[in-house]
Amino acid sequence: MRTILSSEWLKLRSVTSTYQALGVAALTVVLGMIWTFYVSGLADERGALRAAAPEQGFLPLIQISLAVLGVLAITAEQASGMIRTSLTVVPNRGTLLLAKAGVVAAVTFVAANSIIVLTYVTSRLIAGERHLQFNESSLANDLPMLLASGLSVTVLALVGLGLGVATRSTAAAIVSVVSLLFVLPGIANYLPAPWNTRVAALMLPNLVPQIADQRLSRRLGDGFLPPWAALVVLAAYAIVALAAGFYLFRRRDA
Amino acid sequence: MVRCGERPPYLILYRVIELNRLTKRYGDTLAVDDLSFKIEPGHVTGFLGPNGAGKSTTMRLILGLDSATSGQALVNGRRYTSLSRPMREVGALLDASAVHGGRRAYDHLLCLARTNDIGPTRVAEVLEQVGLAGVARKRVGGFSLGMKQRLGIAAALLGDPGTLMFDEPVNGLDPDGVRWIRDLMRSMAKEGRTILLSSHLMSEMALTAERIIILGRGKLIMEATVAELTERYPSLEDAYLALTASSVEYGAAR
Repeated sequence: MRTILSSEWLKLRSVTSTYQALGVAALTVVLGMIWTFYVSGLADERGALRAAAPEQGFLPLIQISLAVLGVLAITAEQASGMIRTSLTVVPNRGTLLLAKAGVVAAVTFVAANSIIVLTYVTSRLIAGERHLQFNESSLANDLPMLLASGLSVTVLALVGLGLGVATRSTAAAIVSVVSLLFVLPGIANYLPAPWNTRVAALMLPNLVPQIADQRLSRRLGDGFLPPWAALVVLAAYAIVALAAGFYLFRRRDA
Repeated sequence: MVRCGERPPYLILYRVIELNRLTKRYGDTLAVDDLSFKIEPGHVTGFLGPNGAGKSTTMRLILGLDSATSGQALVNGRRYTSLSRPMREVGALLDASAVHGGRRAYDHLLCLARTNDIGPTRVAEVLEQVGLAGVARKRVGGFSLGMKQRLGIAAALLGDPGTLMFDEPVNGLDPDGVRWIRDLMRSMAKEGRTILLSSHLMSEMALTAERIIILGRGKLIMEATVAELTERYPSLEDAYLALTASSVEYGAAR
């Protein structure tokens, strides 16, 4: 397993698309600074205001770009046929997929948390003593939200990997990830009550605030999952996608 | 105790590919139909047959990339997928263009080598052997087909395996490369390795192979030595055309 992990690590490291995905995710830091400068300017004119935290507002950018990294980890091999060479040198498909999942999880977890923390720190430094609301709570208060955000990125990357294995298509896997992140939660909001809250509480982006024990949105009120249950549902997304991918990967001819 | 550089003879005995009533069905079509033969060490075995005869499918079945509908293929007496360090027993080149174009040649080989615990020194060695040492740091996407064939051969040689399979390795090679690959195959066979080589180039096959296996519509048509065939027919090409006349699926009117 160690040897296969080191091979997968090199595979990820040796293609440009990895750096492009990481670069796009890292744009969050820049966007967060621009946002904070903007709202700081407004606050200087008007006094206090309520602005969203940039590491929350731009989280979908990190989620999508690193989910693409997870998708490409497998679909790039399937599209080129490299997967057949990979399976010739590692005939055990479960081991190969597990190694890929391990490397994708580790890389996206470290990258996402670094980007989130960097965005957090720079925006608070820029905001200074201004009253922007997002910079007025303590780090201890914000920490659960930061960790949940980082974790959600890793889960999305693993969902992307699982769906990539299952669909064998970059486009199909990315569209599926986008649906999970943006389309389905949007639809859930418009279900008749009380189903809107019930279904929305299970949607991937809504799990992050629930893990941190925070309100979902004004429209939906409090989420109805306790933090531990939200964490379990989040993990289930990754496990289900990977299990589905593995089931098909093992059965199909390469 | 005296240790010699040669592998002990009992290992040579096991350098055998054995097909046992191997059958592969895709929907209604039988791609490989009840195929049984044995490929033994010490000479190059040529694998011939019209397009769609099942040569590539047979190779994929041997490597465990496709699963057989019935029957089995054994390498050194075992199923390929049960080998723990397969590169050290079997080297295969199925499709030279099945590589990630964005990866450098050296990294591509190192990714494969690492899975079987093969070090970077060996990677440099095979790059030198196939004549790609000068472009080791270039991205594979810019390689010509001939260079990709050399890269694929390098990958097959990484584990210094006793059994080698090549699917159309001569395509795209320049005359110099064709001569090189012929000499390489023959010298590796002379070392006591088992070599299975598929090609459509009859003149090349006549120069390289000693034994010939001819497939048609998934079935075994003929298993003979080149000498036997050229005794009965004017040339290997005439032998091939006569033997496969009834099993050409995709051909112009003759």
